[in-house]
Amino acid sequence: MKKTITLHVNGDVYELSVEPNETLLDVLREELALTGTKKGCDSGACGACTVIVDGEPILSCMTLAVRCQYKEITTIEGLAQDGVLHPLQKSAIERGAVQCGFCTPGWLLSAKILLENNPAPTREEVRTAIAGNICRCTGYKRIEEAILAAAGQNTE
Amino acid sequence: MAIDGTGVMEQYRLVGNSPIRLDAKSKVTGRAVYIEDIQLRGMLYGKVLRSKYAHARILNIDTSRAEKLPGVKGVVTGADLPFVHGEALMDKPLLARDKVRYLGEGVVGVAAVDERTAEEALELIEVNYEELPAVFDPTEAAKPEAPLIHEELGSYHHAPGINPIKGTNICNHFQLRKGDVEKGFAESDHIFEDTFTTGMVHHSFIEPHGAICLIDDDNRITLWANNDSPYRCRKEIANALNIPTSNVRVISAPYIGGNFGGKGGLQAEACAIALAWKIRNKPIRMMYTREEEFCSAIVRHPSVIHLKTGVKRDGTLIARQVKMYWATGAYAEKGPTVCRFGGVSGAGPYTIPNVRVDSYCVYTNRQVAGAMRGYSGPQAAWAYESHMDIIARELGIDPLEFRMNHVYTDGDEHTTGQEIFSEGLKECLEKVAKSMEWGTKPVGKDRGRGIACMERAIKTPFGSAAFVKVNEDGTVEVLSSTTEVGQGSETVLCQIVAEELGVPLEWVRKATPDTAFTPYDASTTSSRSTFHMGNAVKMAAADAREQIIKLAAESLEANTEDLEIKDGNVYLKGVPEEPLPIPRVLGEHYGPSGTVLGRGFYFPEMKVPGKYFSTFMIFWLLGAHGVEVEVNRQTGEVKVLKVYAAHDIGKAIHPSNCVGMIEGGIGFGIGFAFFEEFMFKGGTVLNPSLLSYKVPTAMEMPETESMLVECAHREGPYGAKGVGETSNVPLPPAIANAIYDAVGVRIKDLPITPDKVLDALKRKAQGEKDGPPQNRA
Repeated sequence: MKKTITLHVNGDVYELSVEPNETLLDVLREELALTGTKKGCDSGACGACTVIVDGEPILSCMTLAVRCQYKEITTIEGLAQDGVLHPLQKSAIERGAVQCGFCTPGWLLSAKILLENNPAPTREEVRTAIAGNICRCTGYKRIEEAILAAAGQNTE
Repeated sequence: MAIDGTGVMEQYRLVGNSPIRLDAKSKVTGRAVYIEDIQLRGMLYGKVLRSKYAHARILNIDTSRAEKLPGVKGVVTGADLPFVHGEALMDKPLLARDKVRYLGEGVVGVAAVDERTAEEALELIEVNYEELPAVFDPTEAAKPEAPLIHEELGSYHHAPGINPIKGTNICNHFQLRKGDVEKGFAESDHIFEDTFTTGMVHHSFIEPHGAICLIDDDNRITLWANNDSPYRCRKEIANALNIPTSNVRVISAPYIGGNFGGKGGLQAEACAIALAWKIRNKPIRMMYTREEEFCSAIVRHPSVIHLKTGVKRDGTLIARQVKMYWATGAYAEKGPTVCRFGGVSGAGPYTIPNVRVDSYCVYTNRQVAGAMRGYSGPQAAWAYESHMDIIARELGIDPLEFRMNHVYTDGDEHTTGQEIFSEGLKECLEKVAKSMEWGTKPVGKDRGRGIACMERAIKTPFGSAAFVKVNEDGTVEVLSSTTEVGQGSETVLCQIVAEELGVPLEWVRKATPDTAFTPYDASTTSSRSTFHMGNAVKMAAADAREQIIKLAAESLEANTEDLEIKDGNVYLKGVPEEPLPIPRVLGEHYGPSGTVLGRGFYFPEMKVPGKYFSTFMIFWLLGAHGVEVEVNRQTGEVKVLKVYAAHDIGKAIHPSNCVGMIEGGIGFGIGFAFFEEFMFKGGTVLNPSLLSYKVPTAMEMPETESMLVECAHREGPYGAKGVGETSNVPLPPAIANAIYDAVGVRIKDLPITPDKVLDALKRKAQGEKDGPPQNRA
């Protein structure tokens, strides 16, 4: 039995009819065509599907869409504002923190919340913040440096 | 300034810089398109029912209830598909026929209007099996009395150089002989014998396998896939279905979310093709779940490697005998050539006068092992580099010195008989030693330091082709079938074209591989793309440049040798104030319809005969690692304090990217060394999830120092070689050697878990030597 819900995503409002057991991940990707949110494991283990809901990074594969009524959702498509890249995005590009790119949206959103709550994190705090985002390509060093650099810190 | 392969000082504009990766912006904004982001009108969704037995005969399959489920558009079984595929050895059906050979093998495919319906339909299918005896350990499976997994092995079609043994489970036996090992052992003062094992590990790219297949009534096939190598994939399909290659079009997803060797062959592709063969004129998508990734895709070969080495009292290596068993699982896949490369490098990158290698690729009733970052390198180096350390320490020789005394240098002969050229392994060892202050820096209590080096063969001889299209406005498109799997080839290839053609990098774009348009490339594997495709695009760009210069020479009434192209303009050499823009050159000749097409095809020059996986390598991947560890004697935990990694990459076209590859490989090496391992009960995987199969997170990564050695290759583009598959190779043995240095225990079975370390410490305290191998399958 489908339910009608209202989702606020990246500043837009959507009226949607969804199954009660549909995940936020599937609704974002399949109904709203916001395919920047990635499905890596569909079981809450890889972090590729991380989005921000009411200021918290969450795993959209482990969250039912019906539970997100009226909450503020930010996906990777909403990170750049009016075509201007977020400092984390710029930093990721400049620091070579992107290889295959499949984990990138997830860790960028985890890092966004980290920097909002803690504008000058230590490397350990950065590591803790992205510990739920698996990257199989980079070895994490560039990712950590990109986040530290976006926070205006010297990474040398 | 840089020195190119011929020793000439050259000034490059772009080569050797690290421009921003061309794919980075689309990836940080979520706009990069991967296979699962592609939707086609009328697309159906596939799901596969999988075997619940490791080895069983299929007695009957009842799909009638599934077919009646609303939304189901078709059901397919192996009986509908009289095909086998396989690159090296054609032994694998698209879906199981007559029997299943591993738990997780595809048996029935269902296509429905959505995934949920397809999943529901699977529940309605009944399959009856008769269980057969199964075998899991490669040394057991290699025995004559082992249950046969492929009774028909002797009749399978296979590539040249592959040597299956009829009536056994050995689908390739590779042999290498140099000198006389028995004589060598007789002349030796000491003989060392060790056995090393590695477990089964997974690529764990974050993006699962996916494919969409459409087959029309005339057997014309279009396949969209995240396959690493569109042409290799196309050939495997055409061979399997016995149709012309031009009937098959393989279109790569624009970006692939990690590969590491695991996205070659036919994985999700096979399921999508199986369904589309029966259900015509509809695109059918198959996306693997994470569980299917672990149970039904590709893994790294578990291995058992015996080494026997004879040395003189002064530490001179005299003879080495190597016996290797590669557990390739239920089907050969890339196993026969993994086994071959393992054998080629089995004795290590050392000059040893007498060598005998026997490398066996053995079927078992487990999931299929294939290519994974290093392609036998990590297992082989785990064995020979641990073994080298054991010998050095037993003889009281410094492990670095022992290696330096035996690693080959230019002019030496490889074990295979090939002359070594353009290789800088010694330099890698020297750099690591210098940086870590080997032999001089003091270490603390329970801390230790280890060193290891490596070689890894490059698949030779295989070709790569490219076109360079110069547009009316002077912008450039590179048509190349190298896929972008995260390694950065898109950027590197565009850099080479911009450099060679003399245009700004921003003018150059690389097309997405599509066998209908982009020309032949053997594969995006084996760390071969910068070297092979780099050469092809360099030739194509040079061809385009010469054509533009010829046109400009006519316009300017100048000699071609007096002209050059810089920043998109043709100049008379030494007259920078009179630029002639490329679009004007084209316009003056062709009006508004001007274009120039450059073409390039690179095929390595062969010194010895061989057209399929020769033992002659156009180059070798080489490197050395040093590590510092601290061992906790109470818990058995090992903390890696720092990794020093040096790799000979020939010439860094994009240095930042090269370092990125090394750092990523260290992550792979950490996982392989310490905690990655499939756990089994019989044929059942107990940890088919990223929750229970742990890969390194940011928390597990050590400090790293990456060093690029640039020993220019005489045939490489600007001297470049490759780097992608190297840096996970020497790390595990370097760690094991450091653990021995720290606490005096030797671990011979990967992964190095705390319980193995504790157990070894306990046995050492009780005065015992090594325990038995622990994970023989």
